[in-house]
Amino acid sequence: MRFNEMIKELEQEFVYEVKNTNEIYVTLDKSSVIDVVSDMISKYKLHFVAQFCVENHDGFTINIVLSNRRNGYYVILRYTTGNEVISLESIIHQASLFEREIVDLFRLSIHGSSDNRNLVKHEIWQANVYPLRKNFKFKEKVSAKYEIPEYRFKEIRVDGAHQIPVGPVHAGIIEPGHFRFSVIGEDIKNLEIRLMYKHRGVENLCKNVIAENLNLVFERIAGESSVAYNEAYALLVEKILGIEVTREAKIVRTILLELERIYNFLDDIAGICVDVGYSYPAKKYSYLSEQIHQLCEKISGNRLLRNSIVPGGINIAITPEKLSAILETIKSVNNRFEGIVDMTMNSVPFLDRVEITGVVDNEIAEKLILTGVVGRASRIRYDVRHSFPYEMYGEIKKSINVETIGGVFERYKLKIAEIREAFNLSSQIKHVNKRKININLPENKEAFISVETVKGELLVYVRTGKDNKFDRIYFKTPSFTNWNGLTYAVLGEIVPDFPLCNKSFNMSYSENDR
Amino acid sequence: MGILKDRIKYGSETIKDPIYFNKFSYGRIEVDENKCTLCKKCIDMCPINAISVMDKKIFIDNKGCIFCGNCLSTCEYGALVNTHDYKMAEFGQLGEESREKIYKKFNRSLVLRSVDTGSCNACMLELSATTNNFYAISRYGITFAASPRHADGIVVTGPVPLNIKDALLRTYYAMPEPRLVIAVGACAYDGGIFKDKYAVERLDKILPVDLYIPGCPPSPQAIIYGVLKLMQRI
Repeated sequence: MRFNEMIKELEQEFVYEVKNTNEIYVTLDKSSVIDVVSDMISKYKLHFVAQFCVENHDGFTINIVLSNRRNGYYVILRYTTGNEVISLESIIHQASLFEREIVDLFRLSIHGSSDNRNLVKHEIWQANVYPLRKNFKFKEKVSAKYEIPEYRFKEIRVDGAHQIPVGPVHAGIIEPGHFRFSVIGEDIKNLEIRLMYKHRGVENLCKNVIAENLNLVFERIAGESSVAYNEAYALLVEKILGIEVTREAKIVRTILLELERIYNFLDDIAGICVDVGYSYPAKKYSYLSEQIHQLCEKISGNRLLRNSIVPGGINIAITPEKLSAILETIKSVNNRFEGIVDMTMNSVPFLDRVEITGVVDNEIAEKLILTGVVGRASRIRYDVRHSFPYEMYGEIKKSINVETIGGVFERYKLKIAEIREAFNLSSQIKHVNKRKININLPENKEAFISVETVKGELLVYVRTGKDNKFDRIYFKTPSFTNWNGLTYAVLGEIVPDFPLCNKSFNMSYSENDR
Repeated sequence: MGILKDRIKYGSETIKDPIYFNKFSYGRIEVDENKCTLCKKCIDMCPINAISVMDKKIFIDNKGCIFCGNCLSTCEYGALVNTHDYKMAEFGQLGEESREKIYKKFNRSLVLRSVDTGSCNACMLELSATTNNFYAISRYGITFAASPRHADGIVVTGPVPLNIKDALLRTYYAMPEPRLVIAVGACAYDGGIFKDKYAVERLDKILPVDLYIPGCPPSPQAIIYGVLKLMQRI
C-alpha cells in the first residue's frame, strides 16, 4: 500500500502525525494494542521491525515500529504506560526478546508473556538497577553481587540425552557467548544461545556525548560494520537538519560502504572454507581481504575506514592517486577471486559438506524476521538498499539477490554474489574534497533511519535533547533477531556442523549486546 | 590440481618482514613544541581526554588514544604530526620482569589464548588478520591455542563488562604459571571510548598487565611488533 493510501486509511480511525516524509506516528490506547498490531500486519502487510521504550517525565512510551518494505515507510504505533508492557508474543514470535530488554533496562513488567527471564542483566548484577532510567546517573558503575544465583537453561532431559556447554570464552579468535546444546546420539535437538556478555551500555553513553563526537561512538558499536554505523549517524543528522550532501560525496560513501561489504564477506566465506577443512581457498580469501584492508588504509589511514564518513560530507580527501589505487586493487582482487570461487564450486568434498546443511525454512525465517544475507538465503525478498534507498543505491540497486533453500551453501553463494556486485559498483568514483559541518541540533526532534549493514537491517531511532546532545538513542541491530535463526538452523545437524552453520551466519556479538 | 596450478601461477603471497615501515598507517602523534602555542583546542576536541598539559607541554597518552585524528585537523598551527609510527607497544607494571622470565622459560616460542571481553570486534579482526598468510605470525613461533591450559598468556581485547568478568578470571587462573596478560587496543588500557559506561571496568584493576599494544584497533603490524618486543626478539 502506498504512503498516501495508508494515511487515508489511518485518518478514519486513529490520531496520527507525519514526520520526516516517511514516518507515520500513530497514538494508540493501551487496551487496543494487540488488535491494532495484528490488524496492521495481516491487513496492511506491514512487517514488524522493533519495539522499544522511551522515558518521558510523565511515564513511558512504548514504540512498536512497523515498516512497509515495498514502498519504504515506517508506521510507529505508540502508547503510554505507567508500569507495564503489553506482550505481543501471541502475534510476533520474537517480541519477547524486545520486551525482556525493556524490562531489564526500564523497570517495567510484562503483561501476558511466557518468558520473564532476564536478558541483558546476568545474575551477577546488583538488584534494582535500571540503567536507562533518567534517575540513573551517568558515570555511575553497577556493582556485582556476592552470591550468584544459577541460570536455568532450556534443556532436553530424557534418557540418552546429554548437554554440551560451549563458551562464553571460545576456542578461536572470536567474541564471547554461551551455547548450550542438548544432544541425543549425534543430532542436536535443542540449542540455547546466551549472549549479552559484552553489554557495556552504549545507549546510555550515547545520551551523554556531544553530537560532534558521537560518530566515533557509533562506529565502535560493531567494528566490522564501522562504515555502516557511521553512515547511519550521518543520515540521521542530515535527516534532522534537512541537509543534502553533494552527489560526489554520495558516490564516495557508497563505495566505502561496498568496500566494507567486500572485506567482511571475504572473511566470512574464508571462515566457511576453514570450518569445512578446505584450507587453501580459505587462506587465499583472507589474503584478498587483507589486500582490501590495505587499500582502505591507503585511502583513509585506517584499515577499517573509521572516521571517514561524517554528517554533511566525508572526512577524507579522494585524490587521483587514491582513485587509481582503488581501481587497480579492485581489478586484481576481482580476477583472483573468481578463480578461487571456481575452485570451491568444483570441489565435491566441499559441496558435500555445505549443501543442505543448516537449513532455515522460509516460513521460520519470516517468523523470526531474519534480515540481511541470512534472510535473503531463505527467500525473504528484502534489502534496505532497495526498500529505503540511501546515497546512490536508488540509482544503482535495481535487483535483490535471493536464494530459496536457506542453507549454508545458499548463504555462501549469496555472499559471493554480494561481493561481485560490490566490485561492479566501485568503478564510478571521482575526485572529492573533504567536507565537514558543525552540528547544531534542534530540540525534541525525532527520526528513524535504516541502513543495510553487512549483517542485515540496522534501525536507529533518535530523539534530540538539550545542549547538542541526544535524549534517547535506540539501536535495533540486525544480529539481535538473527541470532535466533541459528538455533533453528542447527536442529537435526551433528555437532561438528555447528561451527559451519555459525560461520555462515557470522552474526556480531558486539552489536547484539551493545 | 586447481590448487597446484594456482600456487604455481601466483607464487608465494606473503611478505618477508611484516614489521616494515608503513607510510599509510596511523601512528604515534607527536607535538612540535616550536609550533605549539598551548591554545588547548586539541584538549577540548579529544573525545576521550587523552591529551593533557604536563610541564607546560602538550602530552598525548598514546595508550589511551583512539587515533580518530580529530586533534590533527583541529590544530591551526600544524603542531601535531602523525608520524605513521605504529611501534608504540609499552610494558605494563611487570613488563621487564616477565620479559626475563619468558626468555628463560619459553625461549623461542609463545602460545597465546585470545579472550575478547568487551571489544567492538575490530581488535579481534586485526588479531585474526595476524594469522593470515600475509603477516603469518606463526613464523615467529607465536600461535593461538584453543585452551587456556595450553597457553602461556592471554590476549585481552576491550574493557571488562560485568557479565564477562567471571569468565575472564577463570580463563586467567586456568593457565599455568608464569602467565602473561597482553592488552590489545585502547579499550583494554582504560576503557577507551567506553570508559564512562555503567557496566565497564578497567582491565588493569582486575589483572596485572604485562604489555599494552595501543591503537583503535592496533594494526596487525603493531600487534606483531608488540609481542616480539615482549619476547625479546627485537
